[in-house]
Amino acid sequence: MSTSSFKYEKANRSLMERLFEPPAIGKMSPVAKVVAYGLLAFWSLFVIFPIYWVVITAFKDAAAVNQGPFYIPFVDFQPNLNAWRIHLSDPNCDLYAIGRQFVLLAYNSFAFIISPIVDIGAMEPQICRVYHAFTNSLVIGIASTALCVTVGSMAAYALARIQYKPKFGNAAIFVLLTLVMIAATSYAGIPWYVSSAVALALFFLMARAFGKHFKSTLGNGDILFWIISQRILPPIVVIIPIYMMFQAVGLLDTHLALIIVYAVANLPIVVWLMHDFFASLPVELEESAQLDGASRFGIFWDIVLPLTRPGLAATTLLTLILNWNEYLFAVFLSTARAQTMPIMVAAKNAGEKGILWWEMCAIIVVMIIPVIIMAIFLQRFIARGVLLGAVKG
Amino acid sequence: MTSTTTYQPGNSPAGLFKARSWGEWVDHHSRTFFIAPAVVLILIFAIFPTFYSIVFALSRVRFRATGLQFRFVWFDNFIAQFTGNEQAHFLGRLTGMSFVGWIFALAMTALAIWWLYRSWQNRTHWIFLVGRLISAAMFIFIGWILALTLLSGNPWGTMMTTLFYVIVGCSIQFVIGTGLAFLCSQPISGKNFFRVLFFIPLMITPLGVGYAFKMVLDITKGPLQPLWDAIGLQDWAWSTDAWAARWFVILGDSWQWIPFIFIVMLAALENVSRDQVEAAQVDGASSVQIFREITWPQIVPVAVTVILIRMIEAFKIVDLPNIMTSGGPGIATESMTLHSYFLWRANDMGSSAAVAYLLLILTVVVCASFFNYVVLGQLRRAK
Amino acid sequence: MASTAGVPVTFDNIAKSFGPVRVLEELSLKVAPGEFLVLLGASGSGKTTALRILAGLETATSGRILIGDREVTEVLPKYRDVSMVFQSYALYPHKTVAENIGFPLKVRKVPKDQQEAAIRDAAAQVQIDQLLDRYPRQLSGGQRQRVALARAMVRRPSVFLMDEPLSNLDAKLRGHMRAELKHMQSTLGTTTIYVTHDQIEAMTLAHRVAILEKGVLQQLDTPARIYNDPANLFVAQFIGSPPMNVVHGSLENASFITRSGRVEVPVSGRIDKAILGARPEDCGVVPAGQGHLGAEIYTVELIGDHTLVTVKAGEDLLTVKAPKDFSGTTGENIGITFSKDQLFVFDAASGARVR
Ligand SMILES: Nc1ncnc2c1ncn2[C@@H]1O[C@H](COP(=O)(O)OP(=O)(O)OP(=O)(O)O)[C@@H](O)[C@H]1O
Ligand SMILES: [Mg+2]
Repeated sequence: MSTSSFKYEKANRSLMERLFEPPAIGKMSPVAKVVAYGLLAFWSLFVIFPIYWVVITAFKDAAAVNQGPFYIPFVDFQPNLNAWRIHLSDPNCDLYAIGRQFVLLAYNSFAFIISPIVDIGAMEPQICRVYHAFTNSLVIGIASTALCVTVGSMAAYALARIQYKPKFGNAAIFVLLTLVMIAATSYAGIPWYVSSAVALALFFLMARAFGKHFKSTLGNGDILFWIISQRILPPIVVIIPIYMMFQAVGLLDTHLALIIVYAVANLPIVVWLMHDFFASLPVELEESAQLDGASRFGIFWDIVLPLTRPGLAATTLLTLILNWNEYLFAVFLSTARAQTMPIMVAAKNAGEKGILWWEMCAIIVVMIIPVIIMAIFLQRFIARGVLLGAVKG
Repeated sequence: MTSTTTYQPGNSPAGLFKARSWGEWVDHHSRTFFIAPAVVLILIFAIFPTFYSIVFALSRVRFRATGLQFRFVWFDNFIAQFTGNEQAHFLGRLTGMSFVGWIFALAMTALAIWWLYRSWQNRTHWIFLVGRLISAAMFIFIGWILALTLLSGNPWGTMMTTLFYVIVGCSIQFVIGTGLAFLCSQPISGKNFFRVLFFIPLMITPLGVGYAFKMVLDITKGPLQPLWDAIGLQDWAWSTDAWAARWFVILGDSWQWIPFIFIVMLAALENVSRDQVEAAQVDGASSVQIFREITWPQIVPVAVTVILIRMIEAFKIVDLPNIMTSGGPGIATESMTLHSYFLWRANDMGSSAAVAYLLLILTVVVCASFFNYVVLGQLRRAK
Repeated sequence: MASTAGVPVTFDNIAKSFGPVRVLEELSLKVAPGEFLVLLGASGSGKTTALRILAGLETATSGRILIGDREVTEVLPKYRDVSMVFQSYALYPHKTVAENIGFPLKVRKVPKDQQEAAIRDAAAQVQIDQLLDRYPRQLSGGQRQRVALARAMVRRPSVFLMDEPLSNLDAKLRGHMRAELKHMQSTLGTTTIYVTHDQIEAMTLAHRVAILEKGVLQQLDTPARIYNDPANLFVAQFIGSPPMNVVHGSLENASFITRSGRVEVPVSGRIDKAILGARPEDCGVVPAGQGHLGAEIYTVELIGDHTLVTVKAGEDLLTVKAPKDFSGTTGENIGITFSKDQLFVFDAASGARVR
């Protein structure tokens, strides 16, 4: 390769080279620059515009929405708070009503807990709907996130550190008994509590009796795969049976139902993300604590959790956002008492005068503001989690 | 579940262990307490309902004062989806195959059979052979339905619509998401700003996305109204044209999900060793060559994983078509989840469960095929 | 591919800042055609930065770079015709050894058969021809290093750049590779710039050594001259193992005065705060009361063919290379002698050599 074939001095470069080659390392060629910033600007617009439109629509009134598009507040149209007033001027939305609602909430929870003993009946509160839905979303979101992250990270930690060897045969027995129990309940009309109690008792008896003879065992990897693969399950497959189950125990349209269902739906994600964090911790720390006499829970609480705090925080945030946005389960399992924000948004679709866009947008704005703030924290982490998972397979 | 933990005092068999306090007893059984809640929750609220769903799918369900009444009808509900009165809804109208359709269907069949024959010759283990048989059967089935509907000028049903969302949607999202990630991995200023901005749509409730796009693309009152006027579409509506409506849904879905591909691929791109890129620069490679030769081969494992995750979620699509088009016009944008949901609302629980089950089978076969033949291969090569 | 029989390289007043941090100060040096130049310096002294500026991976804040007689300051790396061995080797994990070595040719669209010949040639030179089908992860550290070398050689660049290529190897292999590198460079005759913080590597490999400290060039000379005639206190102390002894005191006419004695030195002048430098092998121990300085034994270490005696003279600790049969106990008073011709005097304030 003769040296003369190299283009050295900048001045000697042809026009094409000047356009298509970077002037120096770490820079972009003029053409690439124009194209890159053009695309980025276009995409920014594409991302921002729908959000912008929702936000300005929340400050429009019926006229400003229906009389054709108006783009810029104060220039095109006069923004006003009508949509917000409709929500806030609800006579049930003053402070007193909200306080009373708290009391009712407590009362209803209490009524539910003692309902197996005496039925004192839940009270239907006079409610401020937006506030009601907002607190519902918040309570359900936070409670189910707490449940899901606790249960999920405990399982993830156990799978990263403790060897489990469930017997394949026991799992088979379980599946078989479940099918028999379901068939008995559905076709033979045996009450579900009888059949499930019998099935459970039979399972423990059979596992005790035959367990020793089963040879093939499953490992931690199988359990992990089993838990994570639950994410493939489309919610629509399980939602009708879950609906029936909650109906059978009288939990339809309660917070508890949604809390549990949301927690289970997100369990695979939590286990998947947290497992990678736990597995990447050096095991020596825990072993030395073990020698110092700490209990397993003590180690988990005092040593493992603090070390994974950033991952834990981000997983929690992600779960919270997923719960906050969830729609399908809520449609099935809540009607009034446990109604969440997304249901409330969708309800604005059903007005007689067509969709009340401005009211709907006001609620959407309330829903997305906290999420956008969280997004800023989450963005780096999610990528890292998926990356870890992908690299490890 | 009996075995020793790595930590348990090795010489004290569980039978001889005498707990001195409650705390000690809990600690001794901690291996169970750690995993039991998760397992129990999943058994009750995922595994049990999945099995319970079979009963719905195999029954005619009636509401009675005493509760539900199940009548076992074997596979009637499934058969109805494939051959009965629900066929047009689920698979599409299957009348008369066009010439192109025949060629396509036969070609797909031949391809799948050739692939099976190759695996047979390579002495693949019989378990994998069974797996491949299932994948090939699904492939042939989808190929024939495609030939009978789209390629023969017939409308297709909710299964093909779902697959359309999954395959076309994921492809578009992957290409654009990776493209944006590549742009943001270049030496541009304001990287962090774009990073956060492009991430935001992922976090917004799908419901909000649906309504936002419905507003923004509204023909008469939306912000693009002057544009529609200019091209003479003022009397048109998204909900009148099947394909326009489908692309409309894909647009909203892409707005929401491109960010996911984007951030993961950006992290993967930034994870490629800087030294390697610089070594290639010194060796005289252009940026295109560097991407093709150095960067891309190293991010392929992440790419296929992210596609798999996206596919799994895409099969569940329901909010967007429900809100943006209510499944219309007709059933043109109805996904299988939405199909099942509508059946449930019509109190046809058996069919609803059957459609849901078919979705589960479709999802598992497609995702498992993709995982086995694409993802695993890439991961193995990266090891 | 014609062999390039050595091209001169010039750093002309190169300065580099990362934001407010000044990493290189007006570095000027000329590398002769075919020369093996070693850039030596402590960690963080700016060696890698200088090398990367030459490769074009970093742009200088000011100054010019010349390769041959062409200015390449603003030329892209790919047009500079240099090749670089990275400290991490930067082998492409998804390519086989052969593909790695052939990559520079591939991107230049060299015909396939020529590529293969060149790959085999380069691989043979570093004795890895039997490994061509492996992946980098299947190689040992030394083998990876050879692949990196082969990749740098395969296209016969006008300049080789190497950034601590041997630092990831174990001591024995390092010695072996050092010899091979030196042999390879002298057969190819390619101008080579080699970065290291290991003075043994520098002394054994280099035609000339450039010593950098805090981005400033301290001395540029042959290894022998650097050792025997250091330009300043930094160089004197940096080179040599164990390092040169220093004694604090003052210079008056031709003698160096400390609290523990007086030494005749080969320079004269008058400096209140001066430093006397003497290499351990140029010092000797004698019974107390004799010699130039009085001192007391601090430790005695038998190394093998000699004994290292550390003594305390005033506030200064000195190491003396004594015969292996030396015996003494800690705390014992002794005297120290110096060979006058091998003494160096430095200005304590500036570190500059007093000549
Ligand atoms: N990209 C950068 N941004 C900011 N500072 C940098 C950058 N690269 C290097 N530096 C700083 O420049 C100084 C010199 O770095 P350089 O890598 O050249 O040192 P070195 O002599 O090669 O050290 P070593 O022997 O440890 O490799 C260091 O203080 C380092 O922190
Ligand atoms: Mg360095």
